[in-house]
Amino acid sequence: MNASFVNTWRRELRYLARRPRYVVLLTLGLAFSYLFFLTLMTEGQPAKLPVAIVDQDGSYLSRRLCHEIEATQGVHVVAVYQNHAQARAAMQRQEIFAFYEIPKDIYADVLAFKAPKVSLYASNAYLMPGSFSYKSLATIGKLAAAAVQREVLRKKGYPEKQVMGIIQPVELDTHTISNAETSYMPYVLTTVLPGILGVMVLLFTIYLVSDERKRRTMADWMRTAQGNVTAAVVAKLLPYTLWFSLLGILGNIILFRYAHFTLLGSSVMLSLMVVLMVLSQQAMGVFLASLIPEQHLAISVGAIYGMLSFTMSGFSYPATNMPPFLQSVSYLFPLRHYYLSYVDIALYGNGIAYYWTSLLGFMVFLLLGMVGIVLLSRETRRLRVSVSQEVSPVNVDVQ
Amino acid sequence: MNKLLHHLIDIWEVFANEVRYVFHDAGVLLLFFVATLLYPFIFAAVYHSEMVLNIPVAVVDESNSEASHRFIHKLDATPELEVEYRCCTMEEAKRLMRSHKVHAIVLFPRDYGTRIARIETARACLFCDMSTFLYYRSVMTGASNVLVDEMKFIEMQRCEMQGLTEADAEGQVTPIGYEDVKLFSAPGGFTSFLVPPLLVLVIHQTLFLGIGVLFGTAREKRHFAAIPLRLRRGATVRIMFGRSLAYLMMYIPVVFIDLFVLPRVFGFPHIGAIGTLVGFLLPFMLATIFFSITMAGFFRERDTIIVTCIFFSIILLFLSGTVWPQSNMPTVWRWFSYLFPSTPGVQGFIRINAMGAHLSEVAFEYRLLWAQTGVYFFTACTSLRLMSYLRRKNII
Repeated sequence: MNASFVNTWRRELRYLARRPRYVVLLTLGLAFSYLFFLTLMTEGQPAKLPVAIVDQDGSYLSRRLCHEIEATQGVHVVAVYQNHAQARAAMQRQEIFAFYEIPKDIYADVLAFKAPKVSLYASNAYLMPGSFSYKSLATIGKLAAAAVQREVLRKKGYPEKQVMGIIQPVELDTHTISNAETSYMPYVLTTVLPGILGVMVLLFTIYLVSDERKRRTMADWMRTAQGNVTAAVVAKLLPYTLWFSLLGILGNIILFRYAHFTLLGSSVMLSLMVVLMVLSQQAMGVFLASLIPEQHLAISVGAIYGMLSFTMSGFSYPATNMPPFLQSVSYLFPLRHYYLSYVDIALYGNGIAYYWTSLLGFMVFLLLGMVGIVLLSRETRRLRVSVSQEVSPVNVDVQ
Repeated sequence: MNKLLHHLIDIWEVFANEVRYVFHDAGVLLLFFVATLLYPFIFAAVYHSEMVLNIPVAVVDESNSEASHRFIHKLDATPELEVEYRCCTMEEAKRLMRSHKVHAIVLFPRDYGTRIARIETARACLFCDMSTFLYYRSVMTGASNVLVDEMKFIEMQRCEMQGLTEADAEGQVTPIGYEDVKLFSAPGGFTSFLVPPLLVLVIHQTLFLGIGVLFGTAREKRHFAAIPLRLRRGATVRIMFGRSLAYLMMYIPVVFIDLFVLPRVFGFPHIGAIGTLVGFLLPFMLATIFFSITMAGFFRERDTIIVTCIFFSIILLFLSGTVWPQSNMPTVWRWFSYLFPSTPGVQGFIRINAMGAHLSEVAFEYRLLWAQTGVYFFTACTSLRLMSYLRRKNII
């Protein structure tokens, strides 16, 4: 048992030293992904979104509104247009995400108590910029009304103290748990980056296992492991488990230590989750590679399945909102379990009592890996028989 | 005349060969025809509801006043929120939040009702689950709507107590009315926002990976029909014509289903003129094909490209400017994003299809795609010539 393990481990390291290309490429790819995502959204929230104003009145009041819009954080007035059509065309060219339309005679109508309407046209074709600029502009809408209201109340002789209470009777104090700046970065990075690692590990594992078959080195592999399939698989994949787990943990150190994302709970537990996710992806890889004998088919299937994990993990679109059937399907993706345990550990600082189901989920994947090993041992039964009997160690082939 | 005919026959042969390769390769078929048709359905099923509605909320009402009761009632009445738990203490509510039974807590402090009675600003606290952006978005939408409505209600009530008529009160409370109009996507939801760009990306990525796999196979199996030993004058161009035509033809039904039929079936915004879309998608497809052929030159084995490049799909999604606006990207990444046909492809497709833009409004993207087509055509030819040279020298 021991010798078979050590020999396979050595054999794999020799192979790795001879062909380090994949590991190097994947490591570079992962490093690039971290660099990309950490530098893409440095603003946290898209600040200074380009907007425009359609000022049809050109009065004192409308110009004051324009100034208020310009002074608001989060938007940047790039143009003042004469009419609606111009602004709409600018939106289609994507020069602006929203525009504010001030109707004709607004000043006169305010004085006449006619309650004129200021309209905000926000593009909904883009969700993020749409909703962020929308929030800023809607605030202006309220502020503008309040400014007029304040003047009216003052002229009516209300004491200054009461004016605020009248204008804003209720206030909502928002506390965003574990993401005080409501930054978009932690939403995306904490799951997408481990997800990328996961897909890489999955496909690479499928490649590694099925490559033995393709290169017709299955017999050599089994002989090195002295016919012990479990030792063969585990020792072959262990170097990569260690390497990719290390990369995942390093990545989390970057995210939580240097990018200062909130981590309330134990970093040890989160690292354990990274390791478990890597193991689960490997187990899934072994399963797929042993189930689908043809390498490129296995890899294509793995690719389709792997890319779905981003959707199914529920980090962007809550799984609770998916149809019930797909909710259960989502548990077939290791990334889902990682995401769930991340939320519990990092955002809430919960103990293991809250996320033991994720641990259970990972265990199921490891079982699936064992099924893969069983499939592999059935496939190599003839090979291993010949190995153990030492009949003719050479010239034995799978196919 | 005879020469032209020969050239056409050449192109036809390349074309037929390429189609044959694709249909003899299960992995490529899976990418070209299964993934492209499977993904849209999965996306449509997963993101079946545009909005995240009926989010369970806990309230902690320490003030127990008429005003707080009304607020809670209104919260419950919004489509976004559902008051499922009324807790006595904040601790209890926090426990519910920790175990994900609720995704928001609204706390009314002891003085909430009295402050309103004293005409001071009363303060309610909202605690929001930040585990996904959509919870935050829906909770904020629901709570803000209630807040605006409640403010207006209280102000109107006070005005009426002062004996103002309703019209006068209205004039005092809202001197300037406010109206919001959402353009281009009536539901304003996640599905019609995310799925169309994903569809364009699926087409881009399956072509890229599929072509990479085909070329990798050719080199791995030393199937050298793809890389001729000698190239006659003009042969490179003819080979490129034949190949790109083959991929273009195979993808016409795919593009038709993914970008024309499915948006109509699933009810995504589709106000683009068909002519404009076809005119725009042609350079997109060509640019993608030549880009893929160029990149495919770098891979010696069939599966390398899938194993090492698939993660890039995620990066392309973020580069395309749908999730994070292009105007707010660092300049380096914006220029980097122009290297890939998917960026102008996604941008143009959304603007044409969801916002009814004409080619003149997507002129930048349109020109960029043709520029990419030109550049990548050239690089694809160069890479073919280089391979042919390397083969003559027996290097590959």
